[in-house]
Amino acid sequence: MSEEKKVPAYSQEHRAYLNSLRRKDRFVTAMRYLLLVACLLIWEVAARLNWIDPFIGSSPARLTAAILRLYQSGELWLHIGITLYETVVGFLLGTLLGTLVAILLWWSPTLSRILDPYLVILNALPKIALGPILIVWFGAGVESIIVMGLLISLVVTIMSVLAGFNAITGEKQLLMRTLGASKLQIFTMVVLPASVPTIMNALKISVGMSWVGVIVGEYLVSKAGLGYLIVYGGQVFNLDLVMASIVILCLLAAIMYYAVAYLEKGICQRMGI
Amino acid sequence: MGKTIVEAKDICLTYHEINGETQAVDHLSFSVAKGEFVSIVGPSGCGKTSVLSMLAGLLEPSAGELHLEGGRPGYMLQRDHLLDWRTIEGNILLGLQVQGRLNAQTRENALSLLKTYGLYDFVHSYPRQLSGGMRQKVALIRTLACSPDLLLLDEPFSALDYQTRLTLADEIHAILRKEGKTAILVTHDIAEAISMSDRVLVFSGRPARLKGEHAIHLTAPDSPLKRRNAPEFKEYFDTIWKELDKNV
Ligand SMILES: Nc1ncnc2c1ncn2[C@@H]1O[C@H](COP(=O)(O)OP(=O)(O)O)[C@@H](O)[C@H]1O
Ligand SMILES: [Mg+2]
Repeated sequence: MSEEKKVPAYSQEHRAYLNSLRRKDRFVTAMRYLLLVACLLIWEVAARLNWIDPFIGSSPARLTAAILRLYQSGELWLHIGITLYETVVGFLLGTLLGTLVAILLWWSPTLSRILDPYLVILNALPKIALGPILIVWFGAGVESIIVMGLLISLVVTIMSVLAGFNAITGEKQLLMRTLGASKLQIFTMVVLPASVPTIMNALKISVGMSWVGVIVGEYLVSKAGLGYLIVYGGQVFNLDLVMASIVILCLLAAIMYYAVAYLEKGICQRMGI
Repeated sequence: MGKTIVEAKDICLTYHEINGETQAVDHLSFSVAKGEFVSIVGPSGCGKTSVLSMLAGLLEPSAGELHLEGGRPGYMLQRDHLLDWRTIEGNILLGLQVQGRLNAQTRENALSLLKTYGLYDFVHSYPRQLSGGMRQKVALIRTLACSPDLLLLDEPFSALDYQTRLTLADEIHAILRKEGKTAILVTHDIAEAISMSDRVLVFSGRPARLKGEHAIHLTAPDSPLKRRNAPEFKEYFDTIWKELDKNV
């Protein structure tokens, strides 16, 4: 009713069109939930009727119980906290460092040319291979894991942010030069603000990469964290624990992605673009 | 006419690139007096933008002498290049900010230009909310806000549709006359050049040389739109057209 009051100027036909759009939206949302519920139900039923062995296939009920046990023993927040801490720090450091390097490379095209083949090789290298070296250098603890999370997103951040900087047209820079702007002014007043959308997109990719780095890092060395739980659960054949950890991981990764996306929307809105 | 504020003597310009060199300007000489409106016409790619770039101090002539009175000239490009994330106010203050000359007085002056030329309602709007013609007018005000003595206009109307182009040419001409500016307009539109200027310089094909020079005297009011109907208009048009048409 209130919606119709707000848009009295629309014709009958247009309202019908809007309604059909809204119905479609509702259908899509409903189907999303339905799919989730159906999967869980089938999984549960399959486990109860022993179509799959609950010992190796777990089940939603067993998984929930596993989470509950973690919660009651007080370990849940510890593991979540550690993994979250490693990821956030690795992600922020990777972004900061990557952006700084990208700025440097934008500033000096010659340096960019010199370093180009090294960047390509570093990008191609599976960073996980560096794991043992990191452990020796940074110790078998949180530091190594953070560095892994940082490394895995660093090169991608450098490359995509630099590409964003370089995509800002020469003509906008020409305009700044006709106004008498210095290179620093061109960067801070035109290139950086104009590349905010690209940088935010790079962040959305690198936040996922940081999760990969941290979990792999935890596989290699850790005494706590979700990656640790997964490895430990696998070793003692507690698949409930493994699946529970993965579900928690899913939720956390999704939350962090949406946080970055939300930040992006907020910044773009504030900048009026 | 006032004193000479631009004097080019035998200027040349050659671009060097990995696969060869391009001579863009060849022994070009001309001068512009204070308060004059001069247009440059010439075939596309002949070196008109290159000449403006030298006048703006973005490029050094390879040879010859170039003298400019007054401070940094204002430059207006074909596209407005307003910054999307700045409001209209933020955009017109850009030059002042860059040059470290933004204070209460220069800001007031810039805003009064917006007021005078009918764009004050948009002071807090963003560029995307404005039409092409309005955006180009904002770009002009951004240039004027730095109070340059000399304005360099590089085909400022060519990205606009015909209707907007005629009206805006009229408006901008009036603005420049009112503010008492000296202007050099580059265009490939002969009618636009005749209707707006006191003098038209005709350039040859690349490398640009001065092929002809025409002082324009029209028995019509000082408005480009009305000047187009002056009886002498067609004569000037034909002369310049033929001059451009002749090879080299
Ligand atoms: N930065 C540059 N490097 C090399 N060649 C250029 C450069 N700018 C322009 N040119 C060449 O110089 C000639 C004149 O260009 P320009 O001054 O832009 O012509 P116009 O503005 O009259 O169309 C063209 O042939 C163009 O290709
Ligand atoms: Mg040009």
